[in-house]
Order: sequence, then C-alpha cells, then structure tokens
Amino acid sequence: MKTLVLLSDARHPVSGRPAPAPTELQAINLARSLADEVTGLHAGPDAEAARGALGHGLARLEHRKILAGHDPLPSLVAAIGTEAPDLVLAGRRAGAGDQTGLLPYRLAEALGWPIVADAVALAVEGGVLEVIQALPKGARRRWRLRLPAVVTVHPAAPAAASFALGAAREGQVETAIGIPAPPDEPAMEERPYRPRPRLIASAAAGAGAAERLRAATQAAGPGGRVMVDPSPEEAAQAILNHLRAIGILKPAAGG
Amino acid sequence: MSRTRRDPREEREVRRLAGSARPRWRLDLPPSVGRLRRDPRREAEAARVPGAARLRLDRSGRAAGPLAAPPLAAEPLVAPTIRIIEAPAFLIAVVPDAPGGRLTPLDRQLLGTARLLADAGGGAVLTLTFGAVDGLGTAGVDRTVALTAPASGDPAMRMGALAALFAALQPRHMLFPESAAGGDLARRLAARIGETLFTGAESLTARLATRPAGNRHVEQRTAPPRLVTLAPDAQLPHTGPAHEARRLEPPEIAPTPAHEAILSVEDLPVAADALPLAEADFVVSAGSGVTDFELFRELARALGATPGASRMVCDAGLMPRAAQVGASGTVLEAACYLALGISGAPQHLQGVARCEHVVAVNTDLHAAMVERAGLAIIADAQQVMPALIAALKAEGRQ
Ligand SMILES: Cc1cc2nc3c(=O)[nH]c(=O)nc-3n(C[C@H](O)[C@H](O)[C@H](O)COP(=O)(O)OP(=O)(O)OC[C@H]3O[C@@H](n4cnc5c(N)ncnc54)[C@H](O)[C@@H]3O)c2cc1C
Ligand SMILES: Nc1ncnc2c1ncn2[C@@H]1O[C@H](COP(=O)(O)O)[C@@H](O)[C@H]1O
Repeated sequence: MKTLVLLSDARHPVSGRPAPAPTELQAINLARSLADEVTGLHAGPDAEAARGALGHGLARLEHRKILAGHDPLPSLVAAIGTEAPDLVLAGRRAGAGDQTGLLPYRLAEALGWPIVADAVALAVEGGVLEVIQALPKGARRRWRLRLPAVVTVHPAAPAAASFALGAAREGQVETAIGIPAPPDEPAMEERPYRPRPRLIASAAAGAGAAERLRAATQAAGPGGRVMVDPSPEEAAQAILNHLRAIGILKPAAGG
Repeated sequence: MSRTRRDPREEREVRRLAGSARPRWRLDLPPSVGRLRRDPRREAEAARVPGAARLRLDRSGRAAGPLAAPPLAAEPLVAPTIRIIEAPAFLIAVVPDAPGGRLTPLDRQLLGTARLLADAGGGAVLTLTFGAVDGLGTAGVDRTVALTAPASGDPAMRMGALAALFAALQPRHMLFPESAAGGDLARRLAARIGETLFTGAESLTARLATRPAGNRHVEQRTAPPRLVTLAPDAQLPHTGPAHEARRLEPPEIAPTPAHEAILSVEDLPVAADALPLAEADFVVSAGSGVTDFELFRELARALGATPGASRMVCDAGLMPRAAQVGASGTVLEAACYLALGISGAPQHLQGVARCEHVVAVNTDLHAAMVERAGLAIIADAQQVMPALIAALKAEGRQ
C-alpha cells in the first residue's frame, strides 16, 4: 500500500518561519498506521517547510520545483501519475498563503478520485478504505470506499509524532523540475489583517455594558413556560415532550 | 470620544406649547437626547399597589405607571407586512446547511448577507435546500427551491444537483456557510465547475469581500466572485420585515450518481458522555440542588446528553473540573441545556449564552435560570430525575 502526503509551503503562525502545518503532520501519522513507508510531496520554490516533516515520520520527500505564485496542481497531478499511490492525504488548510483548503478538491477532480474531508481515523482492508470523518458537535461518520482516493485530515485526528533529529537528517529529498503554471487571475489586494469583532445579533448591540450582560445571560424572547409543583411524572413527561418538540430527542419509538 | 453637541434652545423649542400668549413649555416629555430624566414621585405613584390600606410599592417594574408619559400622537397600528419582490433583477442563491430542516445561526447570518446583496440592486434571495426548511420567510428569503435529499450521504450527489441549478438559474452569487458540510459542498462545486471560490469571507458586500489569509496575518480583498462561503459571526441576520419565501418547482435536472468508488456512508452514534463539553449538542447539568450524582449520570446516559455541572459542584469534587459550565469553565455551543438545581449565577449563565433552548428544574420560582428557561419545572430535582429515567425506559420498552 503506497501512501502520499501532500505538504504545503507552511509557516509557523507566530514566528513566520518555515514549519510544517499541524494537520499535514497528523496526516503523516495516520498514513504510517497503514504503510511503513510514507512519502511526502511538495510543489513549490523550495521545500524548506516540507523538509521539517522528515523528522516527524516521513521517509522520503518528493519536491517539484516551480516558481513562487505558480499553481502547484499540474505538478502534483504529474507527480501522482508517476508515483501511482493508493491513497493521497492532505491537510485541512495549507500552513501559509491563501489557505482556502481548495487544493485537495481540485486534485481529486483532476484525478477523478473520490474525496473525503476531515478524517480522524483510517483503516484499509482488501483495497477498501474505511474513513472515520469528524463532523461538528462530536458526530462521526464512517465512509467505506475503494482506493485510490484523496482524504483530508481534521485537527481532531491523533497527534503528530514528535520530532526526531536523526530521522530528519537521514530523510532524503528528491527534487525535480515541476510544470510551470502561471496564475491566470491577478493576485488579490492584500493588507495587514485586523481582527474584526464577532457580531452578535441582539437588541443590546451598541448599548451599555449592563444591557449587553443582560442580553448575554437572558433569553431573547419573553420568559418561557413555567410549571409550578407538578408531580414528578407530569414534569418528566413535559420535559420529554419539550425536548422532542425542539428536535433534541428522537420521537418516541412507540408513537 | 466624540459626542454630538446639544443645542438647548432647539431642544426647548421642540417642547413649546402652541396657542398661548406667554411662552410655555411642556416639561413631562422624555428628552430626545441623552439620558432619560427620572421622576421619583411619578415612579412611586406607578409602583403603588392598589387596594392596600397601608402604602405598598411594587418595585419589580411590572406595574404600568398610570402617569407614564402619554404618547403625543399615537402611531397608527400597522399590520405586519410581507415584502414581495415580484420581478427580481437577479438572484442571490443561498445553500443553507439547515440540519433537520432548521436554520442554524450561521444560516441566518448567511441569509442576512444575501438580503443585503439582493437589496443593493433589486435582486431576490433564493434558497436551494435539500428537503423542506422552516422559517425561511422571516430570515429574508424571497424564493425557495426544495430539492429531494439524495438517499446516499455522499455530498457528490448534492453537488451535482447544485451544479445543474447553477447552470440553469445563473445566480449572480451562490453563497454557502463556511461550516463542515457547507464548506465541503462549496469546495466540491467550485472544483467541479471550475469557478473561483472565495472561502471564509468575513465581510461581504456587492463590491467588496474580505477574508483572512496567511495564518491571519494578511487580509485579502477583492470584488466577490460568484461562489462565496461566509465565516461564522461575521454578519448579522436579517431583522427587517418578513419576505414571502415563495416555493418554486425545482427544474428538471438529471440526478447525479454517487461516485462509483464510494461503497457506503453511515453516521455513527455519538458517544455523548465522552464528548468534550464545547463540542456537545445537548448538555444536562447539575448544580447544588442535585445530591444523587449516580442518578444524575444515569439520567445523562439515558438522555444521550453530555453531563456538565456548576462551579459549586466541581469545587466540591462531585464532578470533574472539565465538566464545569460557565465563565471560568466551558462556554457551550450546545443547542439545548437542561439545568437541574442550578440557580443561574451570571458567571454560569455566560456559559449558556449561546444555547438556543434551556430547560430548568429548580425548587425556587425566582431563580435566574428559571427566567432564562424556555420550560421551567418548579419541583425537586431528586424526584424529577428518576421519573425522567423511568419515562425514557417505559418508552424504550414499548
Ligand atoms: C470569578 C467567578 C467565576 C465563576 N465562574 C463560574 C463558572 O464558570 N461556572 C459556574 O457554574 N459558576 C461560577 N461561579 C460561581 C457562581 O457565582 C455561583 O456561585 C455558582 O454558579 C452557583 O452554583 P449553583 O447554581 O449550583 O448553586 P446555588 O447558587 O447554591 O444554587 C442552587 C440552586 O438549586 C436549587 N435547589 C436546591 N435544592 C433543590 C432541589 N432539591 N431540587 C431542585 N433545585 C434545588 C436552589 O433553589 C438554587 O437555585 C463563579 C464565581 C466567581 C466569583
Ligand atoms: N504547494 C503544495 N504542494 C503540495 N501540497 C500542497 C500544496 N499546497 C497545498 N497543499 C496541500 O493541500 C492542502 C490544502 O491546501 P490549500 O488548499 O492551499 O489550503 C494542504 O494542507 C496540503 O496538504
């Protein structure tokens, strides 16, 4: 079973130095549970950040050299064609640049492979891949699909292997020339980022602190239904009916 | 800080009483700017409990003051109107997540943004949903197309339907929520039809969209392309008059088959008690009013809810610290909160602020939690808990 992990040209969020993105390292960890040897693939001007992943369990790094700002997709498709992996793993978002999370989808479309997003666990049995996908609110979904496939990794996946300097020194980087693909759209205007306040819809927006606290701690509408001193059975039934009416509990099996 | 400068002469002129030779002013009007002036005598008069021999004042503010400033000209009552856009210049298509047919907060913010984009040029908001969704009109939707939800969980089928509709309806923009499901669908669609996708927009107008990039160090700005996903809590939901949400027949589109490599997609049961509180959807929480914690844990298991607790309980060591809800514990994102014997201190209520539904069981009718709750049971939690477990078991047996 051959597994390829896509590594972006990531930067550390605080220092800005080249450092592999966390979900890509988690992807290496997931891949190592399926195959002994995991290969990394990066398309970009230099593989400085991707090289760091060699210390986290990556055996080999394929580097396709392209100019900065060029689209990595054609080079990646070509490299995947020659490497012929069974499974391609990618991070959720790149560790620098646009961070749109679009690349794995475009890659799957170009290859004609299925894509599953946000994996937290992988298993392979007889050419069938089982993916556990993380959904919001702790829900999980199980996918079974035939290989080959593209899978992106969720931050809730098992933590990455810790860095080992010896492995990082031993790992080899194979550099080849990629396919030039100049961007067809002009780059977007960029400015320093200024965090925006989260907008909270309430009548008290812009009001004083006391009103905002009241709005944050009290129900939006007028008070709800109050039952004073019901019998425990009545109370239980009222609670269950209410929970069903708001769709939290599934309807009773009998009715 | 800058304040508008007041003009006392002009303010007084507003209060001039017409029809008298001597200049006379109306003094009981509330001020048009600044803080409301209080009249303690009138307030006391308004709070007076009628019929009591001794002077008694009800300070709860519920009594309507007989001397409250009379409105000068009563505003004519207007029936709630529904805004109808008959011939829209263009369409803004919105694909809400709407799990279980209910709009999420992010869906509402998305519809509010779509409303602004549509109103900027006489357009209409069109939702494309899989299955029927409630409350679209009040959220600002003009037209809605309800497609049949595909049987398979593979989003590729939904994406195929959306791609066909995108080509057929030619909306000016198609907006998605930047959530797990919506973001996945938008990226699949963008990759399939080769359109640019603007992901995670933090501001969105007809001319400009912005998003964070480069680990939130740069902000990218551009005129919004046709496909946009919107980040949570960046825009306000629609608050104006309701719109008509007219149902349109879905156009004939050939169903897209699921990818042939996908064998099955199934939802796994959620292990609610192992879930971190911040991720939980349904939390049942115990306060000082609960004494039997074995029973409480059994109730949480029976309901399939994640157990939480107030600080009093965690401080006493009856529940782990990780279970604490509130300002110094976890701020919940849950849809429903069931509070057993919790008074509702402000520090606790801050943790519940984002919960849509609250149910309270408390012996005290005047507890703040009872005021916050959509359903409040004034009863002993120790007796309600076994009754709830028994009712759930009885239903399970049927
Ligand atoms: C800086 C600071 C931070 C704090 N942060 C938090 C926080 O993050 N989370 C938090 O929870 N608290 C926090 N607190 C503590 C908070 O102020 C309250 O003290 C605490 O929330 C009260 O917990 P309680 O409602 O369980 O207890 P109590 O206030 O004692 O309320 C018990 C309630 O149970 C009811 N009751 C009693 N017996 C029964 C019965 N048999 N059946 C039903 N109901 C019954 C009573 O009527 C009462 O309403 C903080 C305080 C400070 C100063
Ligand atoms: N230049 C690249 N070379 C290889 N893989 C990449 C590259 N850019 C992005 N990726 C992969 O695609 C994922 C999502 O990237 P993005 O769409 O840029 O946010 C990343 O986590 C990487 O796994």
